[in-house]
This record gives sequence, C-alpha cells and structure tokens, in this order.
Amino acid sequence: MRWLSPLEPNDRHQGVRTERFDGVGNWLLETSEFWGWRYSEGGDDKAVLFCSGNPGVGKTYLR
Amino acid sequence: MPLTARNISSLVIDSLCDRAEEDNIAVAGLYCDFLSQQEQTTTNIIGALLKQLVSRGGILDHVREAFQKAKKEFGGRAPRLADLMGMLKIVIASLPQVFICLDALDECLPKYVPELLESLRDIVQESPRTRIFLTGRPHVREDVQRYFSAAVVIPICPNPDDIRNYVEMRLDRDSEPEAMSNDLRVDIVRVILEKISNV
Repeated sequence: MRWLSPLEPNDRHQGVRTERFDGVGNWLLETSEFWGWRYSEGGDDKAVLFCSGNPGVGKTYLR
Repeated sequence: MPLTARNISSLVIDSLCDRAEEDNIAVAGLYCDFLSQQEQTTTNIIGALLKQLVSRGGILDHVREAFQKAKKEFGGRAPRLADLMGMLKIVIASLPQVFICLDALDECLPKYVPELLESLRDIVQESPRTRIFLTGRPHVREDVQRYFSAAVVIPICPNPDDIRNYVEMRLDRDSEPEAMSNDLRVDIVRVILEKISNV
C-alpha cells in the first residue's frame, strides 16, 4: 500500500495513544456539540467539528 | 504534558473505532506534525486516508477491482492528487458512513492547507454523510470556515479537571515518594491550578 502514500498514520496513532493520558480531554466526548456531530442524520452542514486551541493549551508540554 | 488537542484527537479516533462495527462506520485518522512537514503534502495526506480505508475489511468487490486496476495503470509512477481523490471518493461512496480525523491542521505547511480543505469539501459534497474532525491552532479557524461555513468550533481551554488528573498522575509516579507528604501534595496541586487559572 506504500504506493498510495509514504505516511503511516496507523503507526503514528499507536504512538500517540501509548503516550495518552487517560482522563484528559474526556469532557469533549460528553458535549452536545460532539454528539450532534457524531450522531446527527443531517447532511453536509453537520460535517465538520473543529477543536481550536492555542499552542500553550493544545500542543505544548508542561514540565 | 501533551495537553489536550492531540490527546483529544486520539480519544476521538479510538471512541469512533471502538464502535465502528456496531455503528457501521469507517474511520481514517491522521496526525500532522511539524517534523514531517515536507512529506505532508495534500497528495500524501489524501493517499494516507485512502490507504487506511482500503486496508480495512468490508470493501466491496467492485471497488477493490477498480482499485487494483488503477494501481496497474499507474505502473511505477506516483499517483497524482486527482487520481487519489477519484479513488477516495469511490471508496467513501461505497461505505455507509466515513469519519475523517485530522489532528493539528496548522502543522501542515500553509501552502497545503487550502488544497487539503478543498479536497475535504469535495468529499463531503459528494458523500454528505461524511463527518470530519479537525484540530488546530485558532488561526486556522478562518481557513476551516472559508471551506465549511457551518463548521462547529469548540475552543480547547485548560480544563481544571484535566490538569488535576495529569498532576496527580505525575505525583503518583514520582521517583522519590518518601520526600512527599500529603500536605505537600495538596499544595502542589493547588498552586498549579491557581497558576493556570491566571494564564
């Protein structure tokens, strides 16, 4: 399958999930926005859920 | 602490995969990363999503045949974005519902972001049941909304419960537990939460 893309997202996902902290971010899965996106029968107007965060919030490391 | 965005993307991908069979959905997810920017072209990202969807089971025979035929036609040359998009649309249309998750959109090179969002919009227009989960710094919000004006935006803030869970976990793993007392522990958690609420 390498002819399709050199990127290996499944390997990357395994790496991220082993570093994951359980209990961090679970609140999102309980929001009505998430449920609306996940289970709505609507058409393309329901297609996108975008989580936005600043570097200090979203991706950086607190040491 | 890899605070919430990447953590959340991985939670969302797993929560979808956990119910994939029951809910009859297919999931493709990809984490963008500053470190692999050169490789993260729109073509490679679309190719990677396609790779994930066709390597799972449940692909219909006629799609698999079309796919094998296309592979032969390419011979040794790398498929172009239009080729991959054509195949991806066929695969997605053949499945009941597909969820696409892209973490850290802003970590792609900016020149690829509009093309990538346009490709996703094409997919949604063709298969309106498709659902797309994106994360990124606030500045890509405008890009996202240019292509998906109805996108639902959730700001990710430092959530006190998240911070507390993380700090407690780190304290539990402290390499010198004998230096810790209950009072000190309570103080550490309190001070960190205070500092964060002042950011």
